Amino acid sequence: MYIAANDATQSMAENDAGTGILAKQRLARPVSPHLSIYRPQITWYGSIINRITGSLMSGAFYLFGAAYLVAPVMGWHLESAVLAASFATWPVILQFLTKTVFAWQFTYHTFNGVRHLVWDTASAISNKAVNQSGWFVVGLSTVSAVALALL
Amino acid sequence: MASALRPNMLRQAFASPSARLISSTLPAFQPQQRFLLQRTPLALQQATFQTSAKRELLPPLPQRLQGTVNDAQILGEPNALHGNYHWTFERGLSAALLPISLAPFAAGSLSPVLDGAFIGMIIIHTYIGFSSIISDYLPSRRVPFWRKLFDYGNMLAVFVVGWGWYEFETNDVGLTEGLKRVWKAGSSTVPAS
Repeated sequence: MYIAANDATQSMAENDAGTGILAKQRLARPVSPHLSIYRPQITWYGSIINRITGSLMSGAFYLFGAAYLVAPVMGWHLESAVLAASFATWPVILQFLTKTVFAWQFTYHTFNGVRHLVWDTASAISNKAVNQSGWFVVGLSTVSAVALALL
Repeated sequence: MASALRPNMLRQAFASPSARLISSTLPAFQPQQRFLLQRTPLALQQATFQTSAKRELLPPLPQRLQGTVNDAQILGEPNALHGNYHWTFERGLSAALLPISLAPFAAGSLSPVLDGAFIGMIIIHTYIGFSSIISDYLPSRRVPFWRKLFDYGNMLAVFVVGWGWYEFETNDVGLTEGLKRVWKAGSSTVPAS
């Protein structure tokens, strides 16, 4: 934005000594704590866990897709039969725990996704309803994850 | 301020004759000369007003002025393809993922066509999700290079992963059947295909 030299107003361009010091002073000011002091609540914890579960599942999905593509070149064996056989050699309790953890990602993300879609119809958006549905989703996903792991 | 509950400390601070009194009470106001010479540590200046130690968990970001301080905020052009239609498509796809992800539990596994459709839907859903994450944590104005890099990487991943899962669907058993085999690997013997 160009201001004529004979304008009545004086422009504060970025390179002015004044604003340079202003910017440096801003860096010196303390920053209020935010994430470290915000009270844990099912609202924002539930939201970030929804994002984390989605990212973990997608990350694993992407990693496997890319790995399977380059496996012949790298000399890996990622066929389903090989994966199933090696998983079967794990200790049973480790199998169960791994399956529970993976299943929980899926169930929580799915049920919380349903919760999001319900909100998109502008229902259950009061504070109380959000808290109730949040905890309901946590309980339901835990129970169904254990049930899936026992399949 | 916590110091209000501790009048003694406050009184002490103002009682001590100090040439740096102004800058200790108003640390933001520092004469230019002082700034160029040695600076008193900020913690010492604030000692009279805070009881806990200062923790720089997330320090202030670089302060860059775009244009002059009198310019209005620059907003992007509204675009329905990236706004309204994007939102509708995102929710429609998420809703469509529900029946197709629950069907394998009822039917056992999916036909290759449905399985391929499921994979495609997952990839597009992931693309939308990852682009939300990228735009949240890598704002263009702060880190334009990394934002562009991750955006292009996200798009490239769609094709690489799509190709990889296509190979898995063609040469192997597919997503739902593969998951089922690994899931039930420990319990019963599965005949090799």
